[in-house]
Amino acid sequence: MARRRGGDDGPQGPDAGSLQRIREVLIRAVERHCPPALAAHREDLVQMALVRLLERPAGEGTAARGASYLWRVAYTVVIDEIRRFRRQQRQAEQLAAGERGAPGPEARSELLDCLGELQDRRRTAVTLHLQGFRTVEIATALGWTEKQAENLVYRGLADLRECLEGGET
Amino acid sequence: MTRPSDDLQQRFRSALPDTAGTDCPPPDDSWAATAGELPLERVQALVDHGARCAQCAEAWRILAEVRQAATEPAADDPPPVHPPTPRDAPRRRPPLRSLLPLALPALAAAVGFWLTLRPPPPRPPPVERGNAGATVRAESPGVQPARDAVLRWSDVPGAASYNVTVLTPDLTVVHQALALSARELRLPEAVTRRAAGGGLLWNVDAVLPDGRTVASPTFDLHLE
Repeated sequence: MARRRGGDDGPQGPDAGSLQRIREVLIRAVERHCPPALAAHREDLVQMALVRLLERPAGEGTAARGASYLWRVAYTVVIDEIRRFRRQQRQAEQLAAGERGAPGPEARSELLDCLGELQDRRRTAVTLHLQGFRTVEIATALGWTEKQAENLVYRGLADLRECLEGGET
Repeated sequence: MTRPSDDLQQRFRSALPDTAGTDCPPPDDSWAATAGELPLERVQALVDHGARCAQCAEAWRILAEVRQAATEPAADDPPPVHPPTPRDAPRRRPPLRSLLPLALPALAAAVGFWLTLRPPPPRPPPVERGNAGATVRAESPGVQPARDAVLRWSDVPGAASYNVTVLTPDLTVVHQALALSARELRLPEAVTRRAAGGGLLWNVDAVLPDGRTVASPTFDLHLE
C-alpha cells in the first residue's frame, strides 16, 4: 500500500516543510514589529492566515506557482488577519468607550515633516530604508541600480539629518 | 562623518500616527511594489502612505523581513535587519607592514590550532524519511466509503504533533492539516466529494519537540 513520496519540494503544492518555515518567519515578524497587545496573538493570527491560505481553491492556488508565490500569499493573508484583528479590537474599544474611539488628531512630527520635504526619489528611498529594506531591495522596488539606491538613501539621510538639526538648534 | 540611521528608524516608527486603517492599500500591492512589478509613481504613493500610517508601516516592516527570509530559504534564523550606514566614518588602520612579522607565525599557529580542534560543522535538523524501517505506518484501511473517510497512522514516540497532506494522484494538494495532536484525520466532505470513486494519496510528518520531522511514505486511499 505504501508508495514512495516523489519529493519534498516539488512544484505541485506547499509541502509541510515550506509551511513550517513560513509559519516561523511570520510569527517572528509579527512578534518583532507589532505592538505587544497584538504580538501576544501572533500564533493564532499566523495559524488563521495559514488556514486561509490552504483553504484557497486550487485555481487561485499556491500550487504550481512556486515558493515565491507561496510567500507572497502567506504575507498578504497574515496582513489581512492583522487588519481584521485590529478592526475587531477597535470596534470593541468603541463599544466600551461610547463615542470615543476614533483616532485622535495626528500629532505633528518633526521627522515626518522633514521626510515630507525631501525630494521625491530620496524620500521614497529613505522611507523604505527606515522601514528596514536593504539597498538591493530598494533598487528592485524602484527599478534603479543598487548603486543609485545606495546614493539616494545616503543623500536622503543626509538631507533628513540636516533638516532635523536645523529644526533642533 | 557618519552615523548609523538606527536612531532615525526609531524616531520614524514612534512618529507614525495611528490611523483607522480604512484607506490602506491591499498588502499584495506592497508585495508587488517590492517585487518591481509596479511603476515608480505607484510605488512612491504606496511608500508615502506607509510614512503616514503606523499600521501600514508595520506591514512594510513585516514585508521587509518576509522578503528577506523568502530569498534566504536555507538560513535557519535570518539576521536582524541592519540597514546600511552610508556615511561610515573612515577607520584608522594599524600599520600593517610593522605587524607582519608578528602576524604570520600567529596566523600559522591559529590555523593549525583551528584545524586540530575545530568543531564539527553544524548540521541542519535531520529529516528522517520513512523508506527504511517505516517509522510511520498507515493504520486506516486503504479502501473506505467516501462519506466517512478517516486517516489513521501509527504512533511516533515523542512526536509533539503531526502534519498531514492529502493529494490527488497527480500530486495536487487538496487538503493539509497542521499541528494535529491526534493520530487521525477525518477528511472534509469537500475533499471526499471531489475524490469519490477515485483515489487519493496522503502522508504524515511527525514533528518532534526539537524540530526534526519523521516523514511517512505516501499511502494510497481509494474512496468508494
